[in-house]
Parts: sequence; structure tokens; C-alpha cells
Amino acid sequence: MKRAKKVTELMASSNGGPEKRAKNGASAKNVSRKKNGANGNGRAESFPRFYGTPLPGVKPEELSGSLIVVEGTDGSGRSTQISLLTEWLESEGFAVETMGLRRSFLVGEDIDALLAENSVTRMTLALMYGTDFFDQLERRILPALRSGLIVLADRYIFTLIARAAVRGIGRDYLHGIYEIALRPELTFWLNVRPEVAFDREFKKSQTISYWESGRDMSLSNDLFQSFIRYQSMIKREFEYLSKRHGFIELDGEGSVSEVNRELRQRIASHLGIRRTQYKPSHALAHLWR
Amino acid sequence: MASIPSEIVTTQRPVAEAIPASKRDYPGALVVVEGIDGSGKSTQLYLLKRWLEIGGYRIHFTEWNSSPLVKSATRRGKQRRLLTPTTFSLLHAADFADRCERQILPLLQGGYLVLADRYIYTAFARDAARGCSPHWLRNLYSFAPVPDITFYFRAPLDVAVNRIVAGRPKLKYYEAGMDLGISLDRAESFRIFQERILNNYDQMVQTDHFVLMDGTMRVNRLQKQMRQIVTERVDLDPFAPKKAVKKK
Repeated sequence: MKRAKKVTELMASSNGGPEKRAKNGASAKNVSRKKNGANGNGRAESFPRFYGTPLPGVKPEELSGSLIVVEGTDGSGRSTQISLLTEWLESEGFAVETMGLRRSFLVGEDIDALLAENSVTRMTLALMYGTDFFDQLERRILPALRSGLIVLADRYIFTLIARAAVRGIGRDYLHGIYEIALRPELTFWLNVRPEVAFDREFKKSQTISYWESGRDMSLSNDLFQSFIRYQSMIKREFEYLSKRHGFIELDGEGSVSEVNRELRQRIASHLGIRRTQYKPSHALAHLWR
Repeated sequence: MASIPSEIVTTQRPVAEAIPASKRDYPGALVVVEGIDGSGKSTQLYLLKRWLEIGGYRIHFTEWNSSPLVKSATRRGKQRRLLTPTTFSLLHAADFADRCERQILPLLQGGYLVLADRYIYTAFARDAARGCSPHWLRNLYSFAPVPDITFYFRAPLDVAVNRIVAGRPKLKYYEAGMDLGISLDRAESFRIFQERILNNYDQMVQTDHFVLMDGTMRVNRLQKQMRQIVTERVDLDPFAPKKAVKKK
């Protein structure tokens, strides 16, 4: 694929830097006032809401809620943990909003249709996922954060970057698209080995999907091999992203209750929740193992 | 600046620069027309296309926003007015990427002369007028091949706006830039929106090597000029019928 010639210029953040810093400073004050007990990751003091230039029309200082991201490959237990965390936070009196992939009203179903066809090209798919992401962010998540809600994201820009990057789309290009995105306060990475992910995914649906095994990439005709190789590539991208973005890496192979306890402790200290004890309700008891 | 974490802000900035034919990695050529609505660009590209078609040249014509892929999403977004500057821009980029990856790039690689009615500069001018950061837009479209010729049809704002308003009973919501909240009057909003776009185009003339065309000239005279420039700047032999076998 032909790329336009790139030249290095001054970083965008140096234009309008002071203004941005002032805004971020203001938002950081709000954050630290609201979360007095916050000392979990030491970032709460000077925490800019955006990576770079904020989305058009958004005032970072208006956002009083918290964005917490749970990332991990297929079969890492993300969705289970998000359900449990939602219940726990609600029982602690926090209102929760969630986001995930392909959940936008604008293009969520269109992406499903594209995936079903298997004929979509990588750049188009990456940009459709981008549209899906920003539609949720702008029309659902930012309003929630303005109202002071806790947003739990079941995957975030990192999965989108990793998936596109293993398909050969430049990391700088991808980071450039998402530099206007909101930066999470905490990003957890539930790390599992591809073999474990395979067992879990297979148990769940008795088969392995086309996209989960990266079959569009022609890695192997053997489905198991294809899955392992694809998920290993994704995992390597996550290792890189983890360093770049300071993920909190958790052992996703632990039991649901162990991983959940770890997550609750980190989130509690970040939000200033004192009591972290939790037992799932009847409705969610089946997840607890 | 040190206090601003930069884990995601990229330092590299793509800039469109004409690539000489010898350095391109495809044998095709790309000619695009740009300009605000009513500048006469589509008429002129149509005439250029007819000239080449009648001459039997290997050409392909492509339009902005024409792929069925994102049509339902675009329609849904526009009807319900759900599109923000960012999602509007990304959706059009996804649409363009589909056309680029499945048509434009394969055709350029297969040795076609590709004619595009609007190209990435439409997104640069229009989406920046909506408030997207120019730097973000440049990165978004950096996968697009750089055109061999970019004709920029320029007509004074009044001329262009009158051509459109006279021919259309009602301007559409996004077309008129109503999402920007500039004015409640559609015609007024359209005018201001087009003015911003025109200014953005003007700023790209130098940086993106536009060939400036006077949209107020008589159609046939303008077309003559356009054909002459194409002949001068693109080696048409490889696209010509039969005798195309001779290799450079």
C-alpha cells in the first residue's frame, strides 16, 4: 500500500499547548477533589483527559466521571469481569455505563454485516471500527462522563489498534486516528496465553470463528494453528501497547474471583471506595468460579 | 510541552507531495478534480472522460461517496442527524478506503488512468470546515495515493452558490452545513459553509500542487485547456489503445 510521504514536524501539542495545559490542569483539579482517596496509580494529580487535541467541541473540564478500560484477547474473561464490576459498582452507589465493540447505533450492525461477508478490506474495516468507536464515545460515553458516571469499556482503542497493526496498518497511522480519543484513567489488560484462550472460546461456542482465528490473514489452513498464531501476534501488539500506555497487567488465567478481587482493589483505591468486599448476586452467581 | 504525555500523539506528519512517475510503484496514473459545489468540476471531468473514452483509452472513473458499503450507515446517520464532525469524517474515510483498496489501487497497479470526481482534498476542506483538526485529517487519509494532477476549479462564491441554489429546490441538512449551527436559514448556512470550504481549498493550492482552473470560463475553452494540461503532464501512450504495447 502506498503511503503519502511523511515528514517530521513540530508536535501538534506544541501548538496551543499552554491552552491545553490550562484546561487539563483544571480537569485534574476536579478529578483529585472528587476522588480524594485516589493514589492508586499516582496519575490522578496531573491527568490530561485526552491524548492530544480533544474531539471537536468537547470541553475536557466538563467531564467529571471516570473511564476504566478492560482489555484482553478473545477468551480472556473481559466480559465476565465487566458484568461483575458493574454490579459491584452499582451496589456501591456508582452509576455505570458500558461500551464495547460494534455497539454503536450508527454502524454497529453494518460492521456485523461486513464481517459476515468476509470480503471487506483491512483499511475499510479499521475505519468502520473507528466510526463505531467514536459514535459511542461522542453520543453515549461523553454525556455519561459529563454526568459523573463510571464508564466501563469492554475493549477500547487498544484492541482496534492491535488488530489493525497485525494486518500491516502502521502503528503511527492508527495512533493518529485515536489521538483525539479520551484517555482512560485505568486500563487493565487481562493477559492469557493463546492456548488458554482457545480452550475457553471453544468451550463457549463449540467452534472458533473466522475472525478470532485471523483467517483473513492466511496464516495457516489448520484452524487451531491459525488461531494460536493470530492470537500470539495480537498478544505481542498488546505487550508493546502495554509499555506505551502503562497498562495494569493482570493474570487472566486466574479464577474469576481472583481476577475480580484484583480489579476491585485497584478500582476501589482509584475511586476512593473503602469497602471492596463483594459477592455476586443470584443473577450473576453462575459467573463466579 | 513536557507535561503533556505523548504516548499517542504522533510526531510524523504526512504531506502530500507529487511523486514523479518513475518513483511510483504502479504503472497507472491518477487525475482528480476538486472544488466547491457549483464550480463546474464535474462537467469538466465528464468531458475529459468522454474525450478519453472516445479515444479508446484505458480509463476508470470514480466518484466520492459512491460505495454501497457504507450507504446504509450514511443514510441512517444523515436521516436521523446523528453524525458528528468526527463520525462524518470517519464514515467517509471508510467509504473512500473501500474504493481505494478495491478499485483505485488495483486499477493503478493494473495500468489504468483513473479519473476521480473529488478526492481526499474534499475531505480536508469540508471536514476541517466542520471543525476536525487538519493534522488529524491528513493522517487519516495518508494511505491514499497522491494524484498526478489535481485540478482545482475555482469559481467566485456567489457564482457557485447561485448555480447550486437555482438548480435545487431544497438543500439537504448536512450539505448546507446545518449541523454546524451557523444559521437557521439553509441558504445562508450553505453559503457560509461553502465559503469556509473555499478558503480551505485556497490554502491547499500551494502545499498540494493544485492546478488552478477558472470556473467562470466558457465550458469548451476550459475543457480545451484541461485536455492540454493532461497531455502535457501525463504520458498518455501507455493508456492508448493497441499501440500501448511499447514500453517505457
